[in-house]
Amino acid sequence: MDALTLVVAGLANGSLYALVALGLVLIYKTQDVVNFAHGEILMVGAFIGYTIFQILGWSYPLALIAAVLLCGVLGALIERIAFRRLAHEHHITLAMVTVGLSFTLKGAARLPFGGDIYTFPPLFRDTPPIVVGTAVISPQSLVTISVAVALTLLLWFFFRSTTMGKQMRATQQNLRGAQLVGINTGRIFSGTWALACAAGGAAGVLAAPVSLLYPDMGTNFLLKGFAAAVLGGFESIPGAIVGALIIGVIEMLFGGYISTAFQQVSAFCIIIVVLFVRPHGLFGHRPTHRV
Amino acid sequence: MRAATVHKWFAPVLLLVLLVTPLLTDRYIQYVLNLVIIYVIIGIGLNLLLGYAGQFAFAHAALMGIGAYTAALLVYRLHVSFWIALPAAGIVATIIGSLGALPALRMKRVYLALVTLAFAELIQWVMIHWKWLTYGTDGVKLKAPEFFGFSMHGDHRTFYLLLLIAVLLYVFAKRIVESRIGRALVAIRENEIVAQCNGISVARTKGLVFALSAFYAGIGGALFAVTLGFIVPESFGMFQLVIHFSIVVIGGLISMYGSVLGALLLTTLPELLRGFQSLQEIIFGVLLMVFILVMPAGLAGLGKRKGWLPQEILSRNWRALRDRQAAAARDAASRENR
Amino acid sequence: MTPLLRTNGISVKFGGLVAVNAVDIAIPEGVIHGVIGPNGAGKTTFFNAITGLAGLSTGSIDFAGDNITRQPPFQRARLGMRRTFQSVQLIPQFTVLENVLIGLHDHIRANPLRSLLSFSGRDPAEEEAQQRVVETLRFLGIESTLFKRPVELSFAQQRFVEIARALVARPKLLMLDEPAAGLSPSEVQGLNALLRRLRAESDLTVILVEHVLSLVFDVSDRITVFDNGRVIAEGAPADVEADPKVKAAYLGDGHA
Repeated sequence: MDALTLVVAGLANGSLYALVALGLVLIYKTQDVVNFAHGEILMVGAFIGYTIFQILGWSYPLALIAAVLLCGVLGALIERIAFRRLAHEHHITLAMVTVGLSFTLKGAARLPFGGDIYTFPPLFRDTPPIVVGTAVISPQSLVTISVAVALTLLLWFFFRSTTMGKQMRATQQNLRGAQLVGINTGRIFSGTWALACAAGGAAGVLAAPVSLLYPDMGTNFLLKGFAAAVLGGFESIPGAIVGALIIGVIEMLFGGYISTAFQQVSAFCIIIVVLFVRPHGLFGHRPTHRV
Repeated sequence: MRAATVHKWFAPVLLLVLLVTPLLTDRYIQYVLNLVIIYVIIGIGLNLLLGYAGQFAFAHAALMGIGAYTAALLVYRLHVSFWIALPAAGIVATIIGSLGALPALRMKRVYLALVTLAFAELIQWVMIHWKWLTYGTDGVKLKAPEFFGFSMHGDHRTFYLLLLIAVLLYVFAKRIVESRIGRALVAIRENEIVAQCNGISVARTKGLVFALSAFYAGIGGALFAVTLGFIVPESFGMFQLVIHFSIVVIGGLISMYGSVLGALLLTTLPELLRGFQSLQEIIFGVLLMVFILVMPAGLAGLGKRKGWLPQEILSRNWRALRDRQAAAARDAASRENR
Repeated sequence: MTPLLRTNGISVKFGGLVAVNAVDIAIPEGVIHGVIGPNGAGKTTFFNAITGLAGLSTGSIDFAGDNITRQPPFQRARLGMRRTFQSVQLIPQFTVLENVLIGLHDHIRANPLRSLLSFSGRDPAEEEAQQRVVETLRFLGIESTLFKRPVELSFAQQRFVEIARALVARPKLLMLDEPAAGLSPSEVQGLNALLRRLRAESDLTVILVEHVLSLVFDVSDRITVFDNGRVIAEGAPADVEADPKVKAAYLGDGHA
């Protein structure tokens, strides 16, 4: 298989991982919590998309919008109900809550969708793949990359230019300071979760046409997104995005040139190697002690 | 009855009751009881790592699976006696589990979760796809072990084996947590810097607790295999991990009683909800969240607060010290009054 | 005589900030050595450098004659260095007994297998450690707190528990980081008396970072003054008090 083809396919996958990683880093930076349920948010988004597109028969863009909005609301609700009270708890406590949430969502998805493995019908059945030079690019990949890029730009714009976005950045840098200047940090937390889960939901709908849908599908994406965030040092969104793209591409190259079986574990191996060489990730900073 | 008397006699009486239980139970209840005992062992192992030492690792179900498969394959393929396969399972799990200490030392705590989660997925994948070794999804059968020609077939006989091992492992763990090791674990959980400044080698201690936790998981897995008589890869995936986490969180972190209470509750619960995996998952997930939000110290914490359960202070024989101090204080007070 | 602790031109940098700048200090055994200076002068970083929590950019540190620059914090603690912290760092779910026993971690004779397998419930090494804890608490006057948890103690008691944890190991060097902060005047007196007793009854060396000047000037044998990461004065309390550089940087005119 041609290298360029693999690279583009890898970028498409990487874009999905980037959306997941983005959500993970957002929540971590604001609240110091790793959301272990993030894969399940993606899964929920995928099934929302499936319901809207396949069951209700509406259009794909509508499915995307619905997943984004509903997952966003879900995220805000989760924050309000579960995390608001836990702001100062031990990190293990917070992590365990997200683990419990992950199980709950999986179980809840199994009720309507547990019996089977579902497939999302391909969107571009009749469109031929696009050929650019030696690369053969599937239309789906293009859609995935474009939507992911669009969402990322939207987010970037949001953080740079809107009031709430700036307040979020302020809260991330200094919680106490933000509270002191009167920022409604509660609302910021809800907003952060909403954005993160919206990104996750989008990833789910984008993943649906190229992945099998089943309640346990989230773990794989969580791992990849997690891995990407780790490469970025878990402290920068651009770092996580770059990390995600790297993982997506390397995965594809390993799969194409070594073996498809190896593809699954290649992300895992990259992480182990990187972390042992540079424990603070490719883009992170060495931690300093504060006593 | 005075608290001290209750405390002294509780364990022996409980033991006596347990010893005669098989005479009173039917097969099904005995089976569930056996599972409870196995999950006490599993729970203790995870509590040491997640509770006492505060290490957020996701590998416990995978290590249980490694123990189960080691024992089952040794018995089934190599016709090794179970009495050798059992410790072998523990050792193999310990060696692999100790590797978890490496990311715990080198990387930010958040990465430990990632690495162990990926590891768990990897082990599942190996169990399913390395058919030449594990028979994949066909599973492995394990026949009942023999004790000097006396077959331990049947849940009632297996019970005694399980009880013996569980009691030994419980006492062993209790001695460890009531020693400088136990205190070091909690010190590392709460404040690694203070631990270091008091001469605790965080590296050595973490290595120790990962190894210990894995050993318990491995033994628990081997016993699980022999109790069920048949194991498949699916048994050791994320759902198994749900059960483990639920046991220690709902039972109570940083508590030996917590592991027991959690095992009791969370082994019987799925049996009551047989065949509804999705419902079980939802209930476990919700219970986990509710307990963390409302009762972070678990049932054991509640019990200790209300005085139903004795305190768990991590120093061996602390009660003797407390009594000596109280007696000395009384003497001093009465001398003053004279 | 070799000083117990000597720092040779040590510097600690955090990115662009030089928190400790080419500091040379030599402290003999058995003294109480005060360290004062304005906030941000580098006093706590200096402590961190000595205990190994902050890495050195330049220089070296000798302790009891050995170069400890490369040694990690737990190793230095085992050599006989103990410290307290600016904000009390006790483990909240532990009783005072357990908290102070942590200080004895590397002193409890490690015979794990024997004590684990022994049939009776007793462990002589552990019992010896418990006794040491009781004696140390008695020495500090807080024996009654043995089975209490930090939340049940007054702030002064919590501070003393932390000191007990450091003392129970009978260290060679005790480093106290602002122990008097938040204490009432009578409690500061108690601390003063405690330090004097320690000096009189043992070879213990104490380094005392403090802002409560009445305490530092009264109890120290020598004082070092930090400002902006550098040592700007060192000497007997009276000399330091009168030093114009010190007055300008920190004391002002006419302090308490």
